[in-house]
Amino acid sequence: MSAESSQANSIAENQARRRAHGDSLWLKALRKFRHDRVGMWSLAVVCLYALAALGVVTGLWASDWAAVTGPKWASASAEYWFGTNIIGQDIFARALYSTRTAFEVGVIVALGATFLGAVLGSIAGFFSGTWIDEIVIWLMGVLDSVPFILLVAAIAYSLQGSPWAMHIAMIATFWITTARLVRGEVIKLKSLEYVEAARAIGLSQTLIIFRHILPNTFHILLVQATISFVAAIKSEVILSFLGLGVKDGMSWGLMISESTFEVLAGFFNNFIAASILMFGLVMAFNMFSDALQDALDPRTVKES
Amino acid sequence: MEVLQYSIRKMIAGIPLVLGVTFISFLLIVYFGPDQTYELLGKNPTAEEIAEVRSQLGYDQPFVARYLQYLREIVTLDFGSSQSTDEKVSSILARTIPVSLLLSIPGFVLGNLLGVILALLAAYHRGRWPDKFIMGFAAVGMSISFLIAIIGFQILLSSSDGLDLFPVRGWDTSTPWQYLRYVTVPTLATVFVALGYNTRFYRAVIVEEMTRDHVRTARAFGIPPIQLFYKNILKNSMIPIVTRVVFSIPLIIISGSLLLESFFGIPGVGKVSYDAIVTGDQPVLKAVVALTAVLFVVAQLLTDICYRIVDPRVSLK
Amino acid sequence: MSQRDSSETLLRVLDLVVEFDTDQGVVRAVDGVSFDLQPGETMGLVGESGCGKTVTGLALLGLIPSPPGRIVSGSIEFLGQDLTALAENELRKIRGSDISMIFQEPMTALNPVFRIGNQMSDVLRLHQGLSRRQARAAAIEMLAKVGIPDPGQRVDDYPHQLSGGMRQRVMIAMALSCGPKLLVADEPTTALDVTTQAQVLEQITKLQGEFGMAMILVTHDLGVVAETCQKAIVMYCGRIVENSPIAPMFESPRHPYTAGLLASIPRVRAERVKELPVIPGIVPDLLHLPTGCRFADRCSKVQGRCRQSIPQLQQLADTKTLVACYEPN
Repeated sequence: MSAESSQANSIAENQARRRAHGDSLWLKALRKFRHDRVGMWSLAVVCLYALAALGVVTGLWASDWAAVTGPKWASASAEYWFGTNIIGQDIFARALYSTRTAFEVGVIVALGATFLGAVLGSIAGFFSGTWIDEIVIWLMGVLDSVPFILLVAAIAYSLQGSPWAMHIAMIATFWITTARLVRGEVIKLKSLEYVEAARAIGLSQTLIIFRHILPNTFHILLVQATISFVAAIKSEVILSFLGLGVKDGMSWGLMISESTFEVLAGFFNNFIAASILMFGLVMAFNMFSDALQDALDPRTVKES
Repeated sequence: MEVLQYSIRKMIAGIPLVLGVTFISFLLIVYFGPDQTYELLGKNPTAEEIAEVRSQLGYDQPFVARYLQYLREIVTLDFGSSQSTDEKVSSILARTIPVSLLLSIPGFVLGNLLGVILALLAAYHRGRWPDKFIMGFAAVGMSISFLIAIIGFQILLSSSDGLDLFPVRGWDTSTPWQYLRYVTVPTLATVFVALGYNTRFYRAVIVEEMTRDHVRTARAFGIPPIQLFYKNILKNSMIPIVTRVVFSIPLIIISGSLLLESFFGIPGVGKVSYDAIVTGDQPVLKAVVALTAVLFVVAQLLTDICYRIVDPRVSLK
Repeated sequence: MSQRDSSETLLRVLDLVVEFDTDQGVVRAVDGVSFDLQPGETMGLVGESGCGKTVTGLALLGLIPSPPGRIVSGSIEFLGQDLTALAENELRKIRGSDISMIFQEPMTALNPVFRIGNQMSDVLRLHQGLSRRQARAAAIEMLAKVGIPDPGQRVDDYPHQLSGGMRQRVMIAMALSCGPKLLVADEPTTALDVTTQAQVLEQITKLQGEFGMAMILVTHDLGVVAETCQKAIVMYCGRIVENSPIAPMFESPRHPYTAGLLASIPRVRAERVKELPVIPGIVPDLLHLPTGCRFADRCSKVQGRCRQSIPQLQQLADTKTLVACYEPN
């Protein structure tokens, strides 16, 4: 950032900070985010989807997605908003049910990958340069080298087809980016906080890592969690298509996989329903993730 | 000479990585995988036949011995024969790898080239509508699943409901024209999705370079904007961009092609891998995983060397 | 020192106003700045961080980043031409050839992936139409002039192969290579250690004499100003509070702010003091400026009318000093 505009900003910032007695990164981010219209709208859309998923979980709707109720391949109508599929199931109900699957996969993977990434990343960063660090880096390289699909296949193979193979494989791959970022940040932080810690002799290293350094990486973790969520949903589609994904239940990936030959025969409803719903969630989440990143960015001058 | 020494050092450093990958895949595929004995036997096998097959498969040997056997296979590039088709794995690879390359290269090149061009345009007009438009397009590309893009383009271009210009599936490289017909739809899908990610990343890199001090210095000396862009900004941005491009090569060749090939029925490495996954064809799986690991190490090495060529600050020590 | 041609003022800045858009509103970084500069004259532009001195320097070359900043009003007359009225492509002809600017951070000011000879040649070929060979020879000559040893070899070095002090000399060489009439130096020695600082300053003044060049030295370091400048301008909150020849300013500062600045420089004294004198209070928020004098809250001599209206810059009788104060010393 150039000196002159940063000067104008640093004055403004200093005053604001002095008035607010030390606004934290989070409060500032919240303020910025509230002004970001795209961000707010995408958050709204995501919440809408989340509510839909919640409704499915609590049985409010779409619990009858597997019921064969209508004629085969009916086109969209008032009763069947997206028509019916080849067996006669309500496509809209199936698409709605898939929202729950999407959130389930997304949340589990996001939490798992972020947690693993945070822990391993901070350990590697804190002990950077030592053998502990080398091992974690080696592990990251190894898991990076195996192509994702093959890893899922291998895990599914070894677990004899357990439905959790997909989640495990995703977590086993997605933690790496988070870990790399956390490691970098911890190395930077180490040289700051560490001096304090050294003075407080007697504090165990675990305590230093988890109470002092890790909380300063939360903004990275939050953004990475959203990225993992999106990646999980997108990967699920491909995995389900290949037969390596969701086994029981319904997902957008399974719907699309079903529709592969249907579309050549001219029946698009399955494909369109799943695609549109998935696109909506992914796009909204991506925009939200962007807005989050912008809000948490310490450089406050916005290009307008 | 220096480059050679450096390369050798790096390859040696990559050995633990290759070992790690092979170990994990060995663990997952062979050790924890299902017992293959009964797949190879017919009905009502006798005890002797069972024992014979088991020893053939090496199940009676200790873990380490079996792992070492795997490593030996890698080094000699002899993985035996496919369990489903009985063709030698090495010949399978020799046949299918060129196909995968022919399939992925156009998409890879176009995806990155266009990505850089769009990113340059977006960065040059930063904040104005060309930028917003390109970034919007990139956001959409990022949010559409690869599969959806494939199917979408297929409907649009190959089906009777769409333009019906291209074949739905298959592969034929007998003439350049045929090649073009069969590679277009997959390439379009690849480029569409890749552009989303690439453009965003490249734009971020370029914008970051634009705000650097030395650009301000050049402006202060009256360097005109176009020269500024192409001399002062582009070369500096190339370092992270080239790194990413080279780094993504192994991913593109193996993972990217897997979906495309199984979908369009193209006989490349990806399809073979996928079939191997479905049928549980161990020799093929082992070969593909090992190959990817080595490719990855090579890609890392190439990235490092590229760094050296483009950025004079980086030394080969 | 070079001759003064008093009939042709080199630079005349009149009521310059520069604004910036920020998240919390519009900030006036420079609020009505006016001064003159004669050919060959060295002027110090002094003030603390955020007072607007760097912005003023950038404005002269039209380098204010355009979102979020802009020149709102005022004129910058350079040899009779108003720079604020020039189009970008005309300004480019002036930058590096008639007016040059050097910046604070020698570490990052040069492009790391090109050799320094290459970067210098770019400037020479652009403004003087030299061929590649001629430009290279001229570059080597300039490097020798700024005291870089073995210039024939160094010209092919990359910036990271040189030390901070050497890099700054390269910047100076580049800035002077086309013989500009005015050099704007924005904190050129702040990022260097004290010894190098002295060397670089010496270099600049020597070359200034040789080229007959005027210089605006933007800095917060009063010591540097005392050594090199013939007159100085003190800025506070975007306005000029004192404009005076050097010796009178240091001997008897007129504006309370200037006096406070000088008093707070740590130095060897005849008697011990308990505390170092400081200027009480803090700089006002540029988004919420008070009416009246902006120094009022911190001034020991503040009076009623100081808060009511802002004092204008006026010449003190029998001196060459201009002050913006109702109760100058």
